Amino acid sequence: MRKRVLAIAMCAMMSMAALTGCASTGETKSGSADDKVKVSLLVTGSFGDKAFNDSAQEGMEKLKNELSDKVDVEMIEMGNDKTKFEGSLLDASESDSDIIIVGTWDMKEILENVAPDFPDKKYIIFDTDVDYNLGGLDNVYSMSYKQNEAAFLAGALAASVTTSDMEYANEEATIGFVGAKDTAAVINDSAVGFIEGAQFVNPDIKVMVSYVGSYVDSATAKELALTQYSSGADCVFVAAGPASSGVIEAAAEQQKYVIGVDSDQALAYEGEDKANYIISSAIKGVGITIFNSIERELDGELPYGTYEQLGLADGAVGLANNDIYESVVPETIRESVKEVEQKLLDGDAKVDTAYGMDEATLKQIINSAQ
Amino acid sequence: MEILQDILKTLSLPEFYFAMFRSATPVLLTTLGAMIASRSGTNNIALEGTMLISAFVGVVVSAFSHSAWIGFLGAILAGFIVSNILAYFVLKLNSNAVISGIALNTLASGGTIFVLYLITGEKGASTSLPSLKLPSITIPVVKDIPVIGTILSGHHILTYAAMILVVVIWYMFRYTKLGMHIRAVGESKDAAESVGISVKRVKYIALSLSGILTGMAGAFLSMGYLGVFSSGMTAGRGYIALATQAIAAGNAVIGMFASLLFGFCASLSNYLQSSGIPLQFIQMMPYLIIVIAYTIYCGMTERNKKMRQLKAGDTK
Repeated sequence: MRKRVLAIAMCAMMSMAALTGCASTGETKSGSADDKVKVSLLVTGSFGDKAFNDSAQEGMEKLKNELSDKVDVEMIEMGNDKTKFEGSLLDASESDSDIIIVGTWDMKEILENVAPDFPDKKYIIFDTDVDYNLGGLDNVYSMSYKQNEAAFLAGALAASVTTSDMEYANEEATIGFVGAKDTAAVINDSAVGFIEGAQFVNPDIKVMVSYVGSYVDSATAKELALTQYSSGADCVFVAAGPASSGVIEAAAEQQKYVIGVDSDQALAYEGEDKANYIISSAIKGVGITIFNSIERELDGELPYGTYEQLGLADGAVGLANNDIYESVVPETIRESVKEVEQKLLDGDAKVDTAYGMDEATLKQIINSAQ
Repeated sequence: MEILQDILKTLSLPEFYFAMFRSATPVLLTTLGAMIASRSGTNNIALEGTMLISAFVGVVVSAFSHSAWIGFLGAILAGFIVSNILAYFVLKLNSNAVISGIALNTLASGGTIFVLYLITGEKGASTSLPSLKLPSITIPVVKDIPVIGTILSGHHILTYAAMILVVVIWYMFRYTKLGMHIRAVGESKDAAESVGISVKRVKYIALSLSGILTGMAGAFLSMGYLGVFSSGMTAGRGYIALATQAIAAGNAVIGMFASLLFGFCASLSNYLQSSGIPLQFIQMMPYLIIVIAYTIYCGMTERNKKMRQLKAGDTK
């Protein structure tokens, strides 16, 4: 009997621990008044990712603080279990929420299924489009980010750094890119932008391109970065999700430079020596765009039923401008990156996108920098 | 032709072979662990999860104790505990080893993130924890030999430990009482029981050893290869070890070569990324080679068996 009780208790403990790992923990509800618009954010995964979800959370916090007289804010973590996403979205759709915000490609199909059944609700989806041809999606506004524009600036920065007299820069005009998966358009979009940005500054630059093949294998990411650094690269741009930490380690170990992605990655290493090698990050401002779109919604100007790509001009992407960037990168380089930014805004510089690009063109761009 | 040149150029780099040992180390340690478990007759599917938990515990303990070695002990203890949980399920409660193993792997992937979040408030990586790394060692004399010095000296302490353990485990299986008992229990537990060997005890010991070795692999990942824990960082290395273990078929030395083969291919695929070979093929290569090696090995043992049967038939 005792054994059975113990066995059951152990099973219960194990399943509890497994479940809590993906449970929706941080729900913050504030009382809803009738005249206020209730905005619900449903994130895939959880907060604390130092990337997308945290940025989205910041945007919601900003809404709560600055527009508290007009909106009510609710945030829900859906965890990593994809089978729960649709149920969570249905729950939110059946609740008293007026606007429901979801994000990433994982939610695209689910939203396409759910949104037509709730024509009274409004939906915003970030970082992906939805297929409006399916019909019934007039209540969905979709927006994604021109990460190629931020990557273009990262490329311009890296190309300027590699030929500069900065402390850890070497003589060769060689830089590197480490991406997560070659099958992800969002990663390739960064690769294309990075290469074109580097070539814009220095047409003869060599850009090494490697893919980890996974978003979590930080050891392989580190190995790839070490390979690039030992082959002459002195500044590597990484777009590999959680595996990015491996590349940052490689940079600190080899005393070379690295540029992060999605959020200001130096913040995660604040106060550590490693942070000094992360000269900047190509940021996607999910939070800002959420805040802006709700503002537009309140003014009645948000174009539901359409898809928008937000870039530099909308303040949605850009390079992280932090203390490290200002202290490590010389002013002349920062000025020239600013010039490139201006040229991109004015249309004097052009950047391609990997979305809808065929494999051959992509290969050609990568090979053009070998 | 250009591709061939790329490959040859890569193969002539001493750094390439250095990286090969580095990539092979976690797989080798886990292969040894898998081997001991498998020779005792239990397939330890939970290696992946055990490694992940150990990697995590090593980082956390080293951060709070300010000692890399206490962190290392923590990682080993974690491996020991996880494998004993598996042993308890399988040996005491008679549950299915594969299902219990999968349960532990699932627990590890969710549980480590959960506890990481409790401790640091982050879910991706332990970057905010001041964790420590175990040292790398330069071998006196050897390091001055050109080429060989670059390849063999300066590795992480656990890489050398793994190489020494290959010999130790090979010796254990061949010449020690414990090794014989583990083999006997794995071959035929009824026969072992009939001569008074406590089958359960031997299996507990075998699984514990397997957990300890896997714990070392975990510590290598988060306290050597990298200096942080990141979620899901084992990335299938525990499963690869099951395959290399199958190739080794209980021989620690073959296990080492199988692991080095994996390290060789993994390292080659890192170096050849910017060559003309399609990336998808390069990324597939380490796994493909292991499957091919296993197939060839199975074919060979099958043929040997038939030959032996034929010979036995002749003498009759």
